[in-house]
Amino acid sequence: METTFDISYVFDFLPKLAAYIQITLFIVICSVVLGLAVGLLWALPRMYNVPVLKNLSAILVSFFRGTPVLIQLFLIYYGMPEVLKLVSIDVTRTSVLVFVILTYTLNSAAYMCEIIRAAVAAVDRGQVEAAYSIGMTKYQAFTRIMLPQALAVSMPNFANKVLANLKETSLAYTLGTMDISGKAQTLGSATMHFFETYIALSLIYFVISMILEQLFLLAERRLHRHERHYKVRTGSRRSLRSRQTGKEDEGLFSSTRSLS
Amino acid sequence: MTLLITAVSLIGGFIIAVPAALVRINRVPVLSQIASAYVTVIRGTPMLMHLFLIYYGLPILIDSVSRKLNLGFTSVSIPIVYFVFVAFSLTAGAYMTEVIRAGIQAVDRGQVEAAYSVGMTPVQTFKRIVLPQALAVSLLNLSSEVIGMLHGTTLAFTVSITEINGRANIVASTNWKFFEAYIAAALMFWGLTVLIERVTARIEKKINTFNRGGVA
Repeated sequence: METTFDISYVFDFLPKLAAYIQITLFIVICSVVLGLAVGLLWALPRMYNVPVLKNLSAILVSFFRGTPVLIQLFLIYYGMPEVLKLVSIDVTRTSVLVFVILTYTLNSAAYMCEIIRAAVAAVDRGQVEAAYSIGMTKYQAFTRIMLPQALAVSMPNFANKVLANLKETSLAYTLGTMDISGKAQTLGSATMHFFETYIALSLIYFVISMILEQLFLLAERRLHRHERHYKVRTGSRRSLRSRQTGKEDEGLFSSTRSLS
Repeated sequence: MTLLITAVSLIGGFIIAVPAALVRINRVPVLSQIASAYVTVIRGTPMLMHLFLIYYGLPILIDSVSRKLNLGFTSVSIPIVYFVFVAFSLTAGAYMTEVIRAGIQAVDRGQVEAAYSVGMTPVQTFKRIVLPQALAVSLLNLSSEVIGMLHGTTLAFTVSITEINGRANIVASTNWKFFEAYIAAALMFWGLTVLIERVTARIEKKINTFNRGGVA
């Protein structure tokens, strides 16, 4: 710790770290897209009350929401090869990235499952009945009536989870993934200027979060464009409040978690 | 250790959050901007970053200050766990500011006016009318905050504090049973989380007994 603070390192490190952004974004995008698919799969038996599958999905969701991501990362990274060895599949040469993405996928799937359930429950049942009454088919009622409304409702929660996911990917370096956090670790140990490295790293995360947040606000506004009285939220202060209410909505179904 | 870190950072966070939330609600000129910048920055960066920034940054600050004042005191003598406390308190503080702010804003303005009209002072009003209701409203968010912090403490091992997860790491590296050690840690966290959720549900039920017939 004898090194003194030198701001020039921050500017020096910024481009070096930025070169690894695509890995971080790749993890985030993969896990969100796959997580959404898996989450939907988990949500279906619970929405349609399928006996055994319903309980299984409840346990999975509770587990992935009830344990820290870091533990899940370690469990899957060390556990999966052991389990697969039993069925004689050798995964020892699989890239770490696969395990990382798998973990984040399962983790976001658990949250997506809850978000989807909350969103579908939030759309008035009468809407679907009205759609049937004017002769829409089941599929039409879902895609034209249910989906647009559910999407709009779930947008703040979805944005929350994606942002949380972005921040959680900072843990992937513990398994040796070379994302921006992993790069920061090596840069820090190479130069012994950890503080400057992490300032640069925080700046990058901050900028990505801000961009994502604005994008989600745009999406939210677009999804709500048919509601004349819907207050369009702009600026960071209001968006933070919407985040909060979003959190509360989800909280009705059980508590949420969106930090790290 | 896990519980200690969680508890200290939550209390620390609460101490930061209440004034920060009040400052933002009342729009106190300069302080309000500072509070809002603090919340935005902390919420926009990962918790791991706060930990690392404090862990690597604070010693530099302390050392340079103590060198200037000739205190003969270096940061090396400070146990790592204090840095963890500071970092996580800052994290929890930012998230809780928003939770509390939302809670306070959910309390109807008319309640405050009614309190004034029966002659309560602003402090009395806040303590007896606004705060209890605000806490009740934000209970769910607070509990997710507690769970979040509980899970967040797993990061502390990166700066080598032995909490449940760190212990799992050590146990694992001594006898090479990573998987079992992490399963045990996972089960413990799972249990704790479910416990917190149950307790919250209980408290919520109790709080809502005063709310019978109400709208909110």
